[in-house]
Order: sequence, then structure tokens, then C-alpha cells
Amino acid sequence: MKTLVRIVAVLIVIGLAALAAIIFVPVQRTGPTEKLAADWQAPAGLGKYDARMADCAACHTEPGGKPFAGGRTIASPMGDIYTPNITPDKETGIGTWSLADFRAALVDGVDDEDHHLYPAMPYENYRHMSETDIRAMYDYFMHDVEPVKNQVAETELPFPFNQRWGIRLWNWVTLGNPGFKPASTKVANDEQLSRGAYLVQVLGHCGSCHTPRNLTMAQAGTNETDAKFLTGGEIGGWSAPDLRGPKSAPQQWSADELKMYLTAGRNAHSAVAGEMKLAVEESLQYMSDEDANAMVAYLRAIGTNGPAPAEAPMKRDETPAGTVARIDAADDPTTTKLKKAVDLTDGERLYVDNCGACHFADGRGAPEVFPSLKGNAAVVAKETGGLIHTILYGAEMPSTSKRPMKLRMPGFAQRLSDDDVAKLATFLRGAWGNGAGPVTADQVAKERKTPTEASH
Amino acid sequence: MVDLPGRPSRRSFLKATVASAAVTSIPIGLPHAKAAELPSLEDYKPVYFDAAEWSFILAACARLIPSDGTGPGAIETRVPVFIDLQMAGDFGKAADWYMEGPYKADANPLLGFQSPLAPAEIYRKAIPVFQDWCKQTHGDAFEKLDAETQDAALTSLEKGGVKLDPELRDFFSFLLQNTKEGYFADPMYGGNQGMQAWVHIGFPGARGSYAEWVNNYNAEYPLGPVSISGERA
Repeated sequence: MKTLVRIVAVLIVIGLAALAAIIFVPVQRTGPTEKLAADWQAPAGLGKYDARMADCAACHTEPGGKPFAGGRTIASPMGDIYTPNITPDKETGIGTWSLADFRAALVDGVDDEDHHLYPAMPYENYRHMSETDIRAMYDYFMHDVEPVKNQVAETELPFPFNQRWGIRLWNWVTLGNPGFKPASTKVANDEQLSRGAYLVQVLGHCGSCHTPRNLTMAQAGTNETDAKFLTGGEIGGWSAPDLRGPKSAPQQWSADELKMYLTAGRNAHSAVAGEMKLAVEESLQYMSDEDANAMVAYLRAIGTNGPAPAEAPMKRDETPAGTVARIDAADDPTTTKLKKAVDLTDGERLYVDNCGACHFADGRGAPEVFPSLKGNAAVVAKETGGLIHTILYGAEMPSTSKRPMKLRMPGFAQRLSDDDVAKLATFLRGAWGNGAGPVTADQVAKERKTPTEASH
Repeated sequence: MVDLPGRPSRRSFLKATVASAAVTSIPIGLPHAKAAELPSLEDYKPVYFDAAEWSFILAACARLIPSDGTGPGAIETRVPVFIDLQMAGDFGKAADWYMEGPYKADANPLLGFQSPLAPAEIYRKAIPVFQDWCKQTHGDAFEKLDAETQDAALTSLEKGGVKLDPELRDFFSFLLQNTKEGYFADPMYGGNQGMQAWVHIGFPGARGSYAEWVNNYNAEYPLGPVSISGERA
């Protein structure tokens, strides 16, 4: 008995010592992964370009606010996180930060006083940024960004998430080696694929939404050799679609259509919505043509069943004038029934009454104007929040230099009851071979209460 | 039954009751059970019209689109409600019309609307004039006359047999126009209750596109209408 007490006591002491070490031993910062000359100058425009590719503005610029002045609320599963001011203002921004401080935030997830940042900041991905990109972005934020005095409220998460030392443990478990190395020889041996991999994995941090999270909420895979990498995640009740499976967009669409989607926000099949709209609006539309080709090539190369077929399975080459002929020719069961318009179910009738004017009886809409609902990622998604939200509150395409018009779908919250929306969404998920499960009125009621923020 | 002054006549009361019965018996299956939530026409509290005016509007609408024709009448489609709401709204106030002078109310009608009065004021001033004319000519207020006499009185009003000041001369054309509008407008404006007028003429409502029917010649369109608020019939 005495021995047991002694063992327990020793264990407690060791435990407390370990805890004290976790809490009080200073953070070890990672040094630069590449030696650059002291007088190294970033090529003109690189810092601004990198900041756009990393999409700093998506979180650090409030809608309607001054660039990078922070204050945007990020709704995390643990509570609301307020993004900091990253303008070079000396009092409320990062004006006093050294290059080492700036690098530590991107690579080690700590601020200038070595406090841990919440992993809502995707340092899990930025960690692998090249030293040249870090230096270029530092110069940009220090010299080109306008300082803005904006004191952002301190993030206050409930216990235990407010114990930031816990993040240290998470970092130990989660973070890989700093710097970027292509994970597979196929990518390493191809300059374009390597650049694409860097854009997707690091700067673009695509995995922060499109890779599922593991038990510790870390990305369950960081590169193409991990089976779960980019196979679809969840964000705010929306599914971020799978980008690698045989039915995923990079596998189904042509390279040109994928490039249009990423850079223009719309293509012959679909249009961006939710968080992806922000990504296109603030970041991807500014991709250089070369980088866009690299990103597309990489995404098409990493399918779970191998590279995307050269001939795209999903193709559209129609003209607007061909819409009627297209609908007349469609003979799948759903379109055939809608065309006859006899003995319609409530879901079918709701579609004809509310959606058919734009998306048409064959559900295929019109290229670059009305997204196709057949095989549409948001329609068949595992998480139904995106579909329900879009029916209730509508959606707006971003204005991009390639496609400036902000085409807007109206919301139907006033026109349809929860039961109507459930029936309609259930119909859409089953129509035209979509083969996804039903939606309940309770799910609609829940979504109706959530703010309309996601559609911006 | 004695008609109390200021109360709708027995005739319009009966019609309104029949109408509300007709409305509540619309096949269930409407997504929004608005029909059941509405007060009957009898219980409706006008927003613009006073009780005497309201009695007249009920009776006049009932003759302009009668309930014993081939389709629903103005009463069961709640056309008077539409007119009341229009009078209380922008149309009644001529809110977006040019209403600055000069006014030449007796100008040639081909020159268009010339009255200094907004439509709601024209109703307000013209109804008592017409009621006085009915009492002098036919011995009673309009709503208490029999249907045939009412028709004759309205015909006189239309053809200029009732002397109205020039600034009120558009009264009958407004009354007729607003009655037709209330009959065929979307139900969200108070009339065309349950889209009965649309069902009657086979108008499919606010559906928006019929691309799949363009090449489908001589086929009967099988769907009932849908309203702007999403009601189906």
C-alpha cells in the first residue's frame, strides 16, 4: 500500500514537472530553411502575390474593412476567434515585428512574444513556405501595406481551449518538418507538378478545408502520398468537396474548365459558393497563368484512381440557343417526368415552380450562368448545409477579372417553408442520378436560423 | 333583416359568407395555408375605406365581376381587399405620378390624367356624389338596390349620366380598372384569392420558364398556377 502511494506521488510529481515544462520552457523557433544573402531583395510584386496566394485577406480583412486590419470573426468549433490586425501599425498591428517574429508566426504558430496562435491560422500549411516567400511577404507587410490603427478584441475561448499551452502539445503531434519537398518522385521530377504541389499544399492551404480532420483536428494528410489528403472536409456545415475521387471535379472536368472554375469563379458546369467564393475573390483569381496551369496539372495528377483522363468525362460544348433542343433530347427518368408534369411529387412540383426557370427540366442550367445541379458537389454533398443555405438565402458569384458580373441566385426563405425546402432538397439530391440521401425539415429549420454570412 | 346604417348589406354579407366558405374549401395541399388564416371578407377591417365607402366597394365589385358567371366573382376572390390596400398604398396616393400643376381637370380626356386629386381622394369624393345620385334617381343607396338597378346605375356612371366634377371624372374607370387588377394580380396584393382567377383562365402564374413546352405543340399544360409567394393551386 505504502509503495503504491509512493509510486502515485512520484508519478504526480513527474506529471506536474512535465506540465510545468510544457507551460514554461521557452518555445524553440525554427530558423530559416534557406540561407539568403543579407541584402537579398524580393522580386518586385512577389510579396503581394504571395500574400494573395496565401489568401491572408480572407481572414485578416473584415468585409468592408481596411485591408489586413483584422477583426473578422472566425467561427471555430471551439468558439469565435477574432483575427488580428496584421498591418504594420506599431501599436495595434505587427509594425514592431522582426523578420524572425514574422517567420515564427508562419512556421511555428507563435506571435512575437512566443504565445501560441490558434490553429485557425493555417501554420500547419504555411510552415512549409520557402524562405524567399516568407521574406517577400515580410517586406510587403512592413513596407507596402498601409498601417491601420485597429485594436481587435482578444479572442476568449471557453476552458480548456483558452489554455494556449495545450496548442504546444498539438503542435508536437501535428507539425511536419519545415520547408517544402515534393513527397513523391513523380511530382519531384516534374517542375510544373512541384510548383502545383507547393501552391496547393502550402500557399493555397487547400487542405485546411478540403482534407478531412483526424481525431486531434489536424489535417489527415498533407500531400499526395497520404490517402486522405484533399478527399473532402467540412467547414461550417458545408462540405468542402473531395478533389481526388473518380467523381471529383478535377477528375471529371477538362483542364480548361477546372482552370476557369479556380480563376473566374464559374465554368460550364458550376460556380463557386460559400468559402470557396472568398478564395476565388481574394486569392485564386490573381493566380498567374503559369501558376494556374501548375495548380490544375497537380490536382489532375493526384486522383485516388490515377491521373484524370485526357478526355474529360463531363463535357459541355453547347450554345445558349441549343438549350431547348438539349432539354427536348434529354430522356433520363427525372427529366422525362418533369417534362410530362403529370402526377408530380411535392418535391418535383416545387422544383418546377421555383427552380426550373433557370436550372431547367434537365437540371443542367446554362454554362457559366446557371450551375448544373446534376452531379453538383454542393447538391450531393455529405453535409447538406450548403445546399439548404443556398436554397434559403441564395448565392452570388464573385466578380473576377475574367467574369466580372456578380450573377445572383435569389433566396427562397420567404417563399418556401422548412418542409418545402426539405422536400425540394431531397428531390434534388435524388434527381438526375445524383443518388444522395434525403434532407429533413429539422435540418432546414436549423440552417434557417444560422446567419446568412456564408453567402456574403 | 334590417340593414343597419354603416354596416354591409345583407346581400354583401351573404356573398362574403359564401366566399369565405368557398375559400376555405380550396383543396388542402397548398404549401402556405394563407387562405385559412385570413379573416372572412365580412370581418375584414378596411385600411383606407370607412364603413360607408366599404359597403359601396363590396357592392360595386360584386356587379363588375359577378359571382354567378362562368368563373369566380370579385367577392370570393377578395377584390375589394385589393382595392382597399391599393388606396392605402402608393397607387392611392399617386406617390410616383407627376402631381404638380398646372391642372386642367376638364381637358380633353385624350390628354390623359389631369386631376389634382390622387386616386384615393377621387374614390373618397366621388362615392358620396354617386350615392346621392342613386338615392335621388333610384330611391336608395347603391348597395341596397337590386342587381339590375345596380347595373343600370353603374352604366350611367360609366357613360357620364352621373354628374361628377371634372377632377372626379376618372372615378368609374379607376373602379373598373382596379377591380380587374384585383381579380388578376398576384394574391400577395390581397385579391385573386387562392389564384382562382388564374385557375379560371388557365394562367400558370409566376413559374417563369416553359422551355420544355416550346416544341410541344397542341398539348394541354397540366399544371395549376403558382403565386409569387409560392402558393400552388
